[in-house]
Amino acid sequence: MVAGRHKSRTLKRVHKRMPGGSTKLTFQKRKPKSAKCSKCGIELKGIPRLNTAKAKNTAKSKKTVARAYGGVLCANCLRMKLKAQARA
Amino acid sequence: MLFEIGRVCLKIAGRDAGKKCIVIDNPGTNTVLIDGETRRRKCNVKHLEPLDKVVSISKNAPPAQVLKAGEELGFKGLVEQKNKKEEKPTAPKKQKAKKQAPAKGAKQQAKPAVSPKKAKEEKAEEEDESAE
Repeated sequence: MVAGRHKSRTLKRVHKRMPGGSTKLTFQKRKPKSAKCSKCGIELKGIPRLNTAKAKNTAKSKKTVARAYGGVLCANCLRMKLKAQARA
Repeated sequence: MLFEIGRVCLKIAGRDAGKKCIVIDNPGTNTVLIDGETRRRKCNVKHLEPLDKVVSISKNAPPAQVLKAGEELGFKGLVEQKNKKEEKPTAPKKQKAKKQAPAKGAKQQAKPAVSPKKAKEEKAEEEDESAE
């Protein structure tokens, strides 16, 4: 029987092959969704999908892009924003 | 000519996006040499947004001149770019004693007339003879 705490759909069901040859059902945590541009909604590049626990142990430079509005806007949206600022 | 020497621009792309710069030289059709709040570097014209101002500055002006012009315009966070070669103190080089390669004639002389193995055998024979 499946333990009560494993019935939640926040857990992923993964079938794993054991060294003896049998297959076992294991429950794993899901990764968070990838970061999206706040304006146009496309996936941002260079930002890994990390849980807060793993993110705590990685360096800041590995979690963002070295550009203005790094983890917030995509490169195209940033260009449009700066152009509008300059022309205003 | 839009990107003439002295034109103030805003950098749109890259690590230094959002920073202002002055065009110093325009050699090619697509690229331009810039300096200012950004590092002194070559830049594609597509990554720049020209602003209204044009500054009177000489071609390939040294960083000190660009600093002055930038301060008048109100550039923030300008860093005096010193000549990198002057700054770095070079460590004194360790001089190793060079092994001179012997000439061809000398090589033959350098080899011992009797090899050490043979010398040992001879010594052993002598000892045996003396023991007897």
